[in-house]
Amino acid sequence: MSRTQRLGIAFSAFIAFAVGVITTLSLLLGDRPELYAEFAGAPAFARLMSLPAAIMVRLVAITSAVTIVIGISNLLYVHLGRVVRGAFFSIVMIASFALTIWWYWSKGGDTSLLAAVQVPIESALAALLFLSMVQGGARVLNKRADIWGLLFVTVLVVVLLGTVPIESLGPVRAWSDWLMEIPVSAGARAILLGIALGTVVTGVRVLLGQDRSYRG
Amino acid sequence: MAEGTIALLSFVLTLMVFSYVLGDLPLVGHLYRTAVYIFVGMSAAFAAIVAYESVILPYLQDIQNPETSWTALGNSTDVAIFLTALLFGLLLLMKPIASLSWLTNGALAVVIVVSAASAVVGGLSGTLIPLIVATAAVPDGLATDFQALTNTLLVFVGTVTALFYFQWQARRDDDGAPVQSPLSRGLRNVGKIFIVTALGAIYATTMLTALTILAERIGFVFQFGS
Repeated sequence: MSRTQRLGIAFSAFIAFAVGVITTLSLLLGDRPELYAEFAGAPAFARLMSLPAAIMVRLVAITSAVTIVIGISNLLYVHLGRVVRGAFFSIVMIASFALTIWWYWSKGGDTSLLAAVQVPIESALAALLFLSMVQGGARVLNKRADIWGLLFVTVLVVVLLGTVPIESLGPVRAWSDWLMEIPVSAGARAILLGIALGTVVTGVRVLLGQDRSYRG
Repeated sequence: MAEGTIALLSFVLTLMVFSYVLGDLPLVGHLYRTAVYIFVGMSAAFAAIVAYESVILPYLQDIQNPETSWTALGNSTDVAIFLTALLFGLLLLMKPIASLSWLTNGALAVVIVVSAASAVVGGLSGTLIPLIVATAAVPDGLATDFQALTNTLLVFVGTVTALFYFQWQARRDDDGAPVQSPLSRGLRNVGKIFIVTALGAIYATTMLTALTILAERIGFVFQFGS
């Protein structure tokens, strides 16, 4: 590794650490005048504390919007290359993109294309998901014929039956309600806590420079 | 666009997507893929429109008015922030150029670190602390209501053991093979019951949502056809 590359890595790490610490402190301590209640001019100080985070978040929001445009430009570039070779689906994609942009600008921001094309395709794809999920549920029993597979499918069937509005299924509905209220609530809480813990730990690793994925 | 045209387009596109269930037949197989590529093109176009109109354009209009400044540091600061963001975008575009990596990595570092800081603060204040407080909270009148006491204990035990399930601890036996203690194995199995139950219920509710959408689409197709 050359000296310039090492300096570059050190520069990125320093920028990351400085920006990360300032933004985290500003997010935690900014816009909370109650923390500085004993000082004169607490609201103004709290606003000042929140300013670095506000600036950085806006900076990243605009950069993210620009990167979305760059990503879409790359998608179009790749498909335009295929259009030259006569790829039918790329022609469809480019035409669909161009038509949407043209429609939106020429009709003064009309979004009826969204209702006519985007929503039906999205809905139909979501509907197809049901068939895949039924198939997936059946495969659980085939591939994992153990106590856990059986428990998974039993809960699945109980919750599904619990939503059927038939009077004779009242006990199943009561059981389904209890499942949703106690074990499902506990399991979902643990999963959410696990996700939050993972997010916080990964975030702290990035902030401390232990995880430098931005080196690329 | 006229109502009739919207309905006709919806009908044709829904049938094109549903042609997926017929399998990879000649010509019919192309209908599904055509619908998906239309969807991709249109989604990309709307994403570009939203990115421009909801994020870039408001800031652009904001900096063109010298009287206003959201930072309270003056319009020139706003202009500097906007230009820095555009520069960052340009630097990210130049990421494949290896000789500029020290500069492009700096821009990427800022984006990742600010996102990480927001995630840490959001995860702590939005999920971790409220969930821990809710799990450890003791409802009123618990001493007299046996069922409420049992339910509260079950939720607490379920949450703790399910969290324990994600932690795999073992010691090595004389042959060097990892062995779990019976207590650890038991706690993990209890946690697994809660996790599998939660996943089954989440799967069921997702199926119900998909089934509702499927019923709506089939209803629409029949209504339009008649």
